[in-house]
Amino acid sequence: MKKFNIAIVGLGGQGIITMGTVMKNAALSSDLQDVSGSERRGGAQREGYVETFVKYIFYENESEMKDPRKSMHSPMIESGGTDALISLEPLETLRGACYLNKNSIVIFNKTPHIPISVRMGQTSYPEISFIVSELRRITENIFFYDFDAISIENFNSLTQKNIIALGALFAKADIPIDVTAIENILRTGKGAENNLKAFKLGLKL
Amino acid sequence: MGKSNLFINGTKGDKAIVLGNEAIARGALEAGIGYASMYPGTPASEIIAVLDKNKRNIENLYTEFSLNEHISLHGAIGASWSGVRSLCAMKNVGLNVASEPAQFLSYTGIKAGLVLAIGSDPGAPSSSNEQDDRWYSLHTYMPIMEPSNIQEAKDFTKDAFDVSEKFSFGIVLMAPSRLCHNAGALYFGDLRDRADIKGDFKKDPENYLNLFNMAVRNHTKYLERNELLKKYLIESKFNKIINGSSSKIGFISSGVIYAHLIESLDILGIYEHKILKLGFTFPLPNELIGRFFEGLDKVVIVEEAEGFLEFQIKKIAYELGFKGEIYGKDFFRQTGELTIDDVISGVSRFLEKPLPVFFDSAVKTNKELRDKLPQRSGTFCIGCPHRATFYSILKAVGFSNTKGKERDVVIAGDIGCYTLGLLPPYNAMDFLTCMNAGLGIGQAISIFDKKKKVIALVGDSTFYHSGIPVLLNAVQNGADILYIILDNSWTAMTGHQKTPSTQKDIDGKSSPNVLNLKDLVKSLGVSYVKSLDPNSVKRFASQIKSALKEPGVKVLIAKRECILQEVRRNKILNKNGAGFAETGGSLYEIQKSRCVKCNECFVELACPAIILKKDEETDNDYYYIDTASCVKCGVCYEICPNSAIRKVEFDLKTEFKLSGKSLAVTL
Repeated sequence: MKKFNIAIVGLGGQGIITMGTVMKNAALSSDLQDVSGSERRGGAQREGYVETFVKYIFYENESEMKDPRKSMHSPMIESGGTDALISLEPLETLRGACYLNKNSIVIFNKTPHIPISVRMGQTSYPEISFIVSELRRITENIFFYDFDAISIENFNSLTQKNIIALGALFAKADIPIDVTAIENILRTGKGAENNLKAFKLGLKL
Repeated sequence: MGKSNLFINGTKGDKAIVLGNEAIARGALEAGIGYASMYPGTPASEIIAVLDKNKRNIENLYTEFSLNEHISLHGAIGASWSGVRSLCAMKNVGLNVASEPAQFLSYTGIKAGLVLAIGSDPGAPSSSNEQDDRWYSLHTYMPIMEPSNIQEAKDFTKDAFDVSEKFSFGIVLMAPSRLCHNAGALYFGDLRDRADIKGDFKKDPENYLNLFNMAVRNHTKYLERNELLKKYLIESKFNKIINGSSSKIGFISSGVIYAHLIESLDILGIYEHKILKLGFTFPLPNELIGRFFEGLDKVVIVEEAEGFLEFQIKKIAYELGFKGEIYGKDFFRQTGELTIDDVISGVSRFLEKPLPVFFDSAVKTNKELRDKLPQRSGTFCIGCPHRATFYSILKAVGFSNTKGKERDVVIAGDIGCYTLGLLPPYNAMDFLTCMNAGLGIGQAISIFDKKKKVIALVGDSTFYHSGIPVLLNAVQNGADILYIILDNSWTAMTGHQKTPSTQKDIDGKSSPNVLNLKDLVKSLGVSYVKSLDPNSVKRFASQIKSALKEPGVKVLIAKRECILQEVRRNKILNKNGAGFAETGGSLYEIQKSRCVKCNECFVELACPAIILKKDEETDNDYYYIDTASCVKCGVCYEICPNSAIRKVEFDLKTEFKLSGKSLAVTL
């Protein structure tokens, strides 16, 4: 059995749950494949922390798929258990850092959303350099972009940043899912034209 | 792609990614339900929402967003007695409200299968408590099923209707938020023919009437049915023993925690121990537990919350005379969500086996890192009318963060989106428990503490849920209190279900039965009632001030629709119209030259669209209205004491490229 875990974190309203749904739908082609992963929706659309997990499972054969000690999967990713982390908010990357190990790939968005505690002057928002140095203590594979700016530049709107980030993930990490499988999902969904363009933009990063 | 909507058209052989809640709904559909209802509540809302959304294309399906859980479960009982399979869903605390029908359900029994799907919320990410509703079954005798994954969520729900009919019990299907909001692959089954779903109520006084000795007789009958169910569960497919090799150690678990356990054992590389997977966690047959105990010295129960299984199993072990050791809460915590990390750590301590290095080091690194991070709490959406309501209340009672002024007035909290007002920077609630506790508790405080003014808050959906008798009670008993109903026309937090206040649906269609809330309040005997737009904050604040000076029960209705719904409807309607540019138009701008950073908009109102930017020339911070997220509610414009905010015309693309410089073109 092979597994590939992806944690996606950020804030409510950034399109994080959509990213998870697209990735999961790309994993329906084979019977020896399973996909799972829960969403934390508590702060949806209200600036709260949101996370979603995508767990790809590839069974070696049918008997492994029927083995009760192998075929049940937690909806969560354990600490240190993710192969890739995508974060759409810089500070939240550090909240999602618990899932990282030394081989994990991190892709994060540079545009900050300052929390209320910072607004009230009780704490300060960390510099990007601090975020990167904290992440470096765990893994060297760190990539960050201004997905907000890329989205505005190309679409005159912030709504495509999640799909651009998804493209960046496929550009930087060795995901065991075909790029064309993702494109096929995007092609059949809402806003197909923009989504395909956004995904391609991400792939070129 | 053939079938466009697998949820309603899918058949055996189809596979799709669905949410746990949708899998429950699909299981009910495969079982041929004709009735589905709920009072919305996270994490369970999508169970009924997905059925309601699709009902026009499903033959003979009635759906209802009931005004509360008590009504909703009674509705499901009525449908069942009419011979129609029924599904009722609610969140964990909903069962407190529906506990009365639940209590009587075993006395009367059911006719067509009845399933009560409960979304529990361990860790309380969307709730005001984390109660484990399984304990209710010790007195309601409702059998409990706990699916472990998406597939079981569908399969168990479907089977639950058969078990319900066989033993005449309403079945509880427990799903924690981790399952409700798990999304994964589901293999569909076939749908039942729906043409023959119709009601036929047959009188059954033997079971349905409960008075004096009739109640005692029904009590006896359900205890007997419970024994029959226990016998059935010894061999049923729902409870499984996975045999170990020669190990004398056994694990017992259920639901999502079982999924955590299996993956944890795989991560730890442990495969030799005996495992009992419980699909039914109530009732538990002694014979089943006895069979599992065979050959074991040590048993550990892996479960969430206070140990509902441990409580039952230790009793059974005593009755069986089991000599081995039984552990549970010694290794797995009672409060908060039990995560996969908790299960890995607990199993490792129980077996005295070291943790994997990658896991151990991630846990340690994270512990150091957590303390360095600013906390982030949720807040109101940009343009939310509740923000204006709280701002107005706090202004009226003299509270200020920036000036360090406390408030003397007591503010009673309640359940809904507006509950977020208890968080910083507003801190505008003094207590928060359950639905409609605010006015009830507030009324007594107003009677016993005459020195303080009391304001009680409630949302429209919460008010209709069970607030009407509370308000009537306050009037009848001479309370001195200001009651503010935050009427945003929707049950917003759970995904925008309609309330009696909803005037227009999302597609612009008018609702047929809109209630006049002001008239309703008047008819309850309130003479002081006013309805105002909370976004006119100055007017609203002065109205609150004058209301607080009046004696008796005063009601102010803060009436403004949820901004998300307003924006969505405009988008839908404008798509059909011509030339609507999402990112153009007139907006508000803070003029750097006039802004003195008094913090009225940035900290007191705390709209997330007002952000901090750095001037690249001077390196100074300044406040800026983020053009991409502002929804033009205009509240900041009204409150700025220095008139530093003005209306401008803008183009988002150039704005973003040149950000950091003063660039907006003045009108």
